[in-house]
Amino acid sequence: MLLTGKNAVITGCLRGIGKKTLETFAEQGANVWACAQHADEEFEKYCAELALRTGTWIKPIYFDFTNTDDIKAGLKAIVSDKQPVDVLVNVAGFTKDAIFHMTSMEQLKLIFEVNYFSQILITQYITKLMMRQKRGSVINIASISGIDGSHGQLAYSSSKAALIGATRTISRELAQHGIRVNAIAPGVIDTDMNAVVPANIIAGHVKGMSIQRMGGSSEVANAILFLASDLSSYMTGQIIRVDGGMK
Amino acid sequence: MSDMVLSGKNAIITGCARGIGKAMLECFAKHGANVWACARSLTPEFEASCAELASKYGVQIMPLCFDMTNKDEMKNAVKVVMKSELKVNALINNAGITYNALHQLTSESELRNQMEVNFFAPFLFTQYIVKLMLRQGSGSIVNVASSAALDGNSGRAAYGASKAALLCATRALSREVGAQGIRANVIAPGITETDMIGSMSDAVIAETVASTDMRRIGAPTNIADVAVFLASDLSSYITGQVLRVDGGM
Repeated sequence: MLLTGKNAVITGCLRGIGKKTLETFAEQGANVWACAQHADEEFEKYCAELALRTGTWIKPIYFDFTNTDDIKAGLKAIVSDKQPVDVLVNVAGFTKDAIFHMTSMEQLKLIFEVNYFSQILITQYITKLMMRQKRGSVINIASISGIDGSHGQLAYSSSKAALIGATRTISRELAQHGIRVNAIAPGVIDTDMNAVVPANIIAGHVKGMSIQRMGGSSEVANAILFLASDLSSYMTGQIIRVDGGMK
Repeated sequence: MSDMVLSGKNAIITGCARGIGKAMLECFAKHGANVWACARSLTPEFEASCAELASKYGVQIMPLCFDMTNKDEMKNAVKVVMKSELKVNALINNAGITYNALHQLTSESELRNQMEVNFFAPFLFTQYIVKLMLRQGSGSIVNVASSAALDGNSGRAAYGASKAALLCATRALSREVGAQGIRANVIAPGITETDMIGSMSDAVIAETVASTDMRRIGAPTNIADVAVFLASDLSSYITGQVLRVDGGM
């Protein structure tokens, strides 16, 4: 087990990559503060069962990513547990696709609120704890669209590009405190986010890949696991593409 | 999934006699892999250390000694692997030599030697092993390049160019064999605690460490652990990538 005895904060745990990361981390021995957008009975049950099965503790934490006070309250709940935090995984994020000229300022600001400003706020809080411990690993989930650009994803891709820039800068500032900061840039992954993308568009992407299929959320979770674990202890400021080799 | 991310897997690692390769040998064994441990010459010490690791971790370690620049010897080594009829899950091309000289002071013979050892040898060896992997329909290639291949450091023209060539070939290969279930990635170590840094002056080492965010030299196990990840199924959707393991340069 690669994360035995480590405590992690993971955001966006309700579904997709976040949910799979939660499962993978617990299976590898980590205790988790599982952050989600809103309280959900099924999610509570899922966390309890997963904790029981893996012999870890999992605490659901709820806050709305568009509400700064709400986020702060959620983070205070984590801080008040007075446990070391070894890992922070910023998974939560969303997209609302629109071509450049059809993107409203309102939409753009909302996406940046969730995909960028909230992530920075959370990272500031949690790395303050990590600095006291003199250790920690932060993993941001960006996107290949933040590197390559993506038709119809102005808001999403630029918010992810901002997150990549932040990853690099924060890694430089916090390395001397024993904190590593890296990002994963997933390609086309089989999640709800891509379920709405037309099949012919997905097929077009897959055709240009070395590994000619969509990725599974567990494949992204396993790369996150690597960056959270001590296997990557000399890596910081890196952006790892988990994209099956896209052109 | 347990801590043994390479349980039941078989790997070929070149350059196992010392440095990063030696650390890889132990890390792979620790994570449950059987290893063909390649080195130039079969010394009693090397044989003994292979046997010791095998019994310590309960895996098979098979010394495979040949000169990477001698094609006949390489062919014979490949035959040994084929005869075993074992699956080759991963190939780690780690063997390499270093060379420090300013561009204008680089001799032609050393330039050719760098390419011979750091590029032609792993390229040809990979051709043989990929042939086996294509039959299996799976495999992971991990090539050890250098941050010098990306950054173009002063005094590293010949060395950096040979590693840059390896990097480019890896990317091309990843595109050609991805559909057949084979992945190919590169590790680009920064400054690492091996014999290789013996060729660098203390002033250069201190300067490099000062410009590294983590303010320390990498340990060989730091590089080996990343090779374990890339060889394992944990990286099943990662191919054609270059992972810098450099403490943030």
